[in-house]
This record gives sequence, structure tokens and C-alpha cells, in this order.
Amino acid sequence: MVGVAVAVLAALPSLVAALPASDAATSAGGLRQRALGSADVAFSGYAQAAGGLSLPVGDQLTDVADLLSDRTTMRAWYRGADDWRVDVVTPTGETDVHADAGGSWTWDYVHATATRTPPAPLALPTASDLLPSALGRRLLSEAHDDELSRLGAERVAGRDALGLRVVPAEEASSVARVDVWVDADSGVPLRVQVVADGAAGPALDTGFLSLELGTPAASVTAFAVPPGADVREGQDAQLLQAASRAGREGRSRLPAALAGLDRRSIDGAPRSVGVYGRGITLLAVSPLPGQVAGPLLDALVVAPGAVVDDLGVRIASGPLGLMLVDGPDGPVLLAGTVSLDALAAAATELTGGDS
Amino acid sequence: MIAVELRKLFRRPRTWVTIALLNALPVLVAVLLALTDLAPRPGEGPVFLSAVLTNGTLYPLAALAIVLPLFLPIAVALIAGDSVAGEAQGGTLRYLLARPAGRTRLLVAKLVSIMVFVLVTVFVVAVVGYLVGRLLFDVQPLGGTSVSGTALSSTEIAWRTLMAIGYVAVSMLGVAAFALFFSTLTDSPLAAMLGALGILVASSLLFTLDAASSFAPYLPTRYWLAFVDLFREPILWRDVVRGCALQGVYVVVLLGAAWANFTTKDISS
Repeated sequence: MVGVAVAVLAALPSLVAALPASDAATSAGGLRQRALGSADVAFSGYAQAAGGLSLPVGDQLTDVADLLSDRTTMRAWYRGADDWRVDVVTPTGETDVHADAGGSWTWDYVHATATRTPPAPLALPTASDLLPSALGRRLLSEAHDDELSRLGAERVAGRDALGLRVVPAEEASSVARVDVWVDADSGVPLRVQVVADGAAGPALDTGFLSLELGTPAASVTAFAVPPGADVREGQDAQLLQAASRAGREGRSRLPAALAGLDRRSIDGAPRSVGVYGRGITLLAVSPLPGQVAGPLLDALVVAPGAVVDDLGVRIASGPLGLMLVDGPDGPVLLAGTVSLDALAAAATELTGGDS
Repeated sequence: MIAVELRKLFRRPRTWVTIALLNALPVLVAVLLALTDLAPRPGEGPVFLSAVLTNGTLYPLAALAIVLPLFLPIAVALIAGDSVAGEAQGGTLRYLLARPAGRTRLLVAKLVSIMVFVLVTVFVVAVVGYLVGRLLFDVQPLGGTSVSGTALSSTEIAWRTLMAIGYVAVSMLGVAAFALFFSTLTDSPLAAMLGALGILVASSLLFTLDAASSFAPYLPTRYWLAFVDLFREPILWRDVVRGCALQGVYVVVLLGAAWANFTTKDISS
């Protein structure tokens, strides 16, 4: 009897997982529109992201590297595009981002710091960017209809989710496909899987484990600096300023296209920082101050799989390519979801070589 | 029969020595912290320990976090492992069963007395932690800050601490059930205790292993640290609820096995 009870208990999770999900006859383009239109759907949820990327970036960008290599557990409350909160929960503390119309507050319990970050035209990825709803909408935002196809349906967070696959058209892309599972009821993306070229499993897999539609209380997303907390200012602005300073000495302008990708215009971004590409295929180019480039170069050169040649050093981790080029005006960082060949081509174009 | 077992348990000097020893470590840590003013760097050391220098009312939680990984399970396994095997080893088990009360009732009585021991132990650790915290550290009369950075009043801290005490006690039930089950298998209390501890060490190790993530949610130590979630705002109930349910499953299954084994066992000593 005890044995039977144990067997039933052990089988429960797989039985629940095997519950069939009901599909709907929504077209791929229509499903993308629904997902993009879900930015005003309020919800509260609990999500987990698992990244399988190891970035050999040294001490400079550990937060970003951890984000893409670890399992991140998140709680989210979303009232609207400029009123939300995402907590990254760890066993002994948490780091919370509270967004409001004028920017965001980041509360770090472990270090008892509150950081105010004004909205920036360009920012390093943070955990809130890994939330399936935000990431799904971002990755679908510039997809063309001929890149889209429908997958069946699946149950995600106990809800029926319709599958949508994006296969980027750009030749330079290092992403094989992105699968987004969209809530059949509300259009909120519930799960996002990014698969790199030639990889069997996803390099990034983020999904809700539970999701509740409905507007969370305003008091939950609001933030007041706790007494005794250290108040700081965000790093992103400083990084951009540093990049801008590093680029000022150089006279050369960034080209209008690199490796077959067109330059995007971003309001307020420094002239020396360029972002190329569209949708899932993006390439960022930024001059680096010497004190950042040195340690990064040291870390990249010794990393397994790094390609070192006359152009510089480049490395791929999953779909993410990273390259440090010794440009005519100082070190330049190229990073993005492009292949190593595309990185090399971009570097050649940047340094003015013709091979 | 339950009253008899409880009286027996709490009249034994060994029970109180165990509880006293269990409190020694948190008290020592508190004295060292107060003397040196050197809290562990935030994010290192047991949970809440870096926060107690500024708010002593959090010390019961730090004390629980200090004893939770090892000392508390050892104490629980010691008492639970001794419950049946100890009687067998001492040659008193057959006299106990000679009474018309029956084996099931004896097992239930043993279980209840272990549960009471767990509750008393956790509560004593928390009370001693509270007293030590008030004596040695600054106390903020207005309450404190939650893990999420919101303000908590003193009453909120108090009832959340009470819930944490309850949750830690529930977390120990799985250990107790393992030790009680092993205690019906063997005549050696030491073997029963070490068996239960072996399970815990294996569980803690597997939990850190990514390759074991497929069954990590079912490991008995998986949700032990979830009492921290009670201090987030809003409270994150997910792991707390799962932790309670998981301990419940372990208790039911292992007690079933212990009962099946004990009621059909040949009592030779």
C-alpha cells in the first residue's frame, strides 16, 4: 500500500505535465501582433531563466556574465510599460528593479544599496530584460512575417500557450531560431527559448512558472528608499560617457553598414557607439577605455575557443559573439548575436582593411 | 501513552543537554560579533547575520540559520533515532509492547513526542536568540527592513519570526521521520541517527549539483532555507508551501513504512 502511494505521488508531476494543451488557428503574423499588443496587459508572475553561456569577460561585466550563465529566479509585478517591478530572488537576498516613468530604482538587499538609474538610450542587459514577457516582445518586435512560423501549443505556467518560431533571415546571424510561447488568452509571451546555430539545446531558456492576470497593487511596484540604505547612481550613464570619451579622440566615423547589417539610429546615444542589425540579429560597436580593454583582452585571449589573429581576438559563446579589435583610434569592442565570420568581416571593414 | 513518552523524553538529562549544546553556538557567535563588531560581509555567512549588528531583533532568525544546516538536524536525528531502537537496545521494548496499548499507538506516541521535542528545541533556540540579540546588539524600536527593502513594524517582524519558527520546525519533521523509520529497522540508535544524517548530507550535496536538477525539488533539504521568503514583501509563499507539502509527504510515506515494518517485526529484545 505504501509502495502504491509513493508510486502515485511520484507519477503526479509527469501526469500534470502531460495534460494536453489546446491549439488555436491563429496565424503566425497574427500571433506576433497579439504578443506585441500585450504590453498593456497587467500581471503578476514567477519566472525562471536558465542561461548556458559562459562569457570570459573578466571582472568588468560579471553581472551580465552571471545573468547569461546562471539560473535566475524572478518575481514580477507589471502594471504597465513604465510601472513595474522585477525581483531577482536568491536564497539569501534579492535584487529588485522598480521602474517608474522617470527611470528605475534598483534595491540590493545584500549590499543595502538603492541605485537610481535614469532612462538611457542604451543599457547593459539586466535580469528584468530576461523576463519572458519583455524578452519575447523585444525579440518579436522587428521580425518579418516571412521569418515566422507556427509551432503547436504547449502548457506553460498551467496556461495554454501558442508557439511561434522566428528564424532570422540575416546571413550574419548566429541565432538558429527563437521559439516564443504566447499565452492564448492574453497574448503575453510566457516562454522564450533562444537556440544558437549548430546547438542542440537552447542557449537561453526563460519562462513563467506561474502567471496571474490582473493589475497588482500600486504599493507593490512603488519604491521608497529604506532608512540606512546607501543611495547611488546608475553605472550605465558612466559607461556611456566613458565610451563617448574614448571615442572622442578618434576622428573616424562609424560606417553606415557593417557585415551587411545597417546601422540603427538611437536618439541620445554617443556618436562613437553604434548598433547594427535588426530584430534578433544585432551587433554593437563601442570604443573601450584602455583600463577596461586591457583586462578584457587578457581574459579573452586565454579563454578556450578564442580566435586570435591580426584583426584582434574573437570568441563565441552560444549565439553571442564578442570581439576586441585594435582599431586605428584605440581598442573597439564588437558584441552581438552574429557569427564569428561576421565579426571578422565587421572588424575588417572597421579597420579599413580590404581583405 | 503520549503523556508517558513526553514525560520520559523531557525527564532525560540528555534531552536538555542536547538543547543546551544547540544554543551554545549561536550564543558564541553573538558574543564574538558583539565583542569584535565584525559582521560577515553581506551575502556571506548565515542569512540575516550581517543585519543583526544594526537590529538585534533579527537575531532569532540568525540563530535558526546558524543551527539549521547541521546542528538542528543532528539533534533531531539523535532523539528520533533513539526512540524505538533505544528501547530495543536497552531491552525495554518488549515490556513496552507487553502493555495492551499496541504497536501503532506506541509508534504514534513516539512520533508525537519527537514533534514536541522539535517544536520545543526550535522555540528555545529562537527565544535564546531573542534574549541574546536584545542584550548584545542595538534594537530598533520602529521595526526593520524587509529583504525587499520595505519597512516592517515590530509586530510584523514578530509574527513573521513566529511563522519562520514554525516553518523550521516543519522542515525538521522529514529528518525526524527518516530517523524514526530507521529506528524501527535496527536495534542500534546510533545506526538510525547516522542513517538519517547520511540522507541529509546526500540531499544537501545533490541539491548543489546541476546534473541532479531533475529531482532536486523532491530532495528533503530543498526548501529548508525558504523561511527567508517570509521576510520578502509581498511574502513569497511558493517555496514555503512546497516545503511544507514535501515534508508532509516524507512524513506520511516514512511513517507508513515505519508502521508497516514495526507492526510486523519480531521483537527479540
